[in-house]
Amino acid sequence: MTYCYHVCICLFLIIVQTTVMPYIPLFQGFYDLLAPFVIYLCIFRPLRESIPVILFFGLVMDTISGGTFGLYLTTYLWLFIGVRWVITFLHVGNNPLLPFIVVAGVFMENLIFVSSSVIFEPGLRFTSEMSITIGVQVFWAIFTGPMFLLFFNYSFGKWDKRVKEISTRKVDR
Amino acid sequence: MFPKKMVMIVGVIVLIAVNIILLSVFNRRYISYYGSGKIAISIVAPFQKATSTSIRFVRDIWRHYFFLVSVAKENERLRKDLNRAFEKNIQFKDFELSNARLRNLLNFQKTITDRVLAAEVIGKDPSPWFKTVLIDKGKRDGVEKGMAVVIPEGIAGQTTEVSAHYSKVLLIIDHNSAVDALVQRDRARGIIKGGSAGQCLFKYVLRKHDVVVDDIVVSSGLDGVFPKGLAVGYVSGVIKPKSGIFQEVTVTPYVDFEKLEEVLVVLTPKKHEFEREK
Repeated sequence: MTYCYHVCICLFLIIVQTTVMPYIPLFQGFYDLLAPFVIYLCIFRPLRESIPVILFFGLVMDTISGGTFGLYLTTYLWLFIGVRWVITFLHVGNNPLLPFIVVAGVFMENLIFVSSSVIFEPGLRFTSEMSITIGVQVFWAIFTGPMFLLFFNYSFGKWDKRVKEISTRKVDR
Repeated sequence: MFPKKMVMIVGVIVLIAVNIILLSVFNRRYISYYGSGKIAISIVAPFQKATSTSIRFVRDIWRHYFFLVSVAKENERLRKDLNRAFEKNIQFKDFELSNARLRNLLNFQKTITDRVLAAEVIGKDPSPWFKTVLIDKGKRDGVEKGMAVVIPEGIAGQTTEVSAHYSKVLLIIDHNSAVDALVQRDRARGIIKGGSAGQCLFKYVLRKHDVVVDDIVVSSGLDGVFPKGLAVGYVSGVIKPKSGIFQEVTVTPYVDFEKLEEVLVVLTPKKHEFEREK
């Protein structure tokens, strides 16, 4: 049931960012919504639960995106490794630190995308438009990133509680 | 034997190197992951279609029934007419020029009008760094990999991945895209590549050609994907460097990719068949 929650949330985030957000001009240039979800998995969920979800949705994102195959998978795995490393010496369960973690995650994701484009596309240069895109994403991440993390944590808590209630009722019968 | 920290650093470096090599391999050779690709698109696309259909339904209700019913309809009709006329005009210009030049040289076989299939855009690329869209037509509708995708204003892109009911379209503004094109006026040839900020770069145009701002760029048909004479965009900037054999030409596409909703997939790309000499 835990995986079911993760799959539903990831699907919801993918649909929102590929279908709903393009209709709203304000959200053009918004960051990848799966990045805060990966960060949420790193901080709040166990390793064995997070890895399959990251692998599966990394592949899904690679398929629906036009980038090099494996780019999203790479990005999510490095994001996962990076955040796991950070939480070994930073107590990020503390809410004030969450914006910085999300911003660092979004920045890292963009850095990997831009680096891969510059490395694999001969003649492609880092332009001012690229820095503006990264800047806008970081700006959004500062204000909305922690909210996403708290929402994921809260909704999972509710989901888990509900599932436990249902299974207890079944056992009682 | 070695300190733990050292092993960790070496491990990370090796991991990064392996990662870059793998990405480089995938980047050089586009592998169509038919299995995983089809499954992933089949999982996501139905939800995307349902969501985009609902959004359009609500938006259309607002546009057509609450917000100036007749004016909106009239406007839509006129816009379609204008687009059609615009497209025809560009095509006629191109036909006129090519007819005059080639009539005496080649015995052109009359080409059959391309078969096209209308499709709806159901999802856009999740990343702002890549420019692709998902459309609601796939293999079962006759779509294949590498087919041209156009709209009345001009070329939109080409299909790069096809599942049973859905396809992924690589737009011409993506930096992985390449379209063989010509300047309509003086036939300067080059390759249209995706640039930044929704613009395209017209690469490999020789310095000797007199390309000027506002020149119309059309597809040459030589790439075997896009039919000849379709509008791509207009020249919005020309830089002739003092050295080098090419000039730097920027092209603004006619297609507004932010508002791309319906597209046409060209099912039978035009093949230029030359009559064999008897």
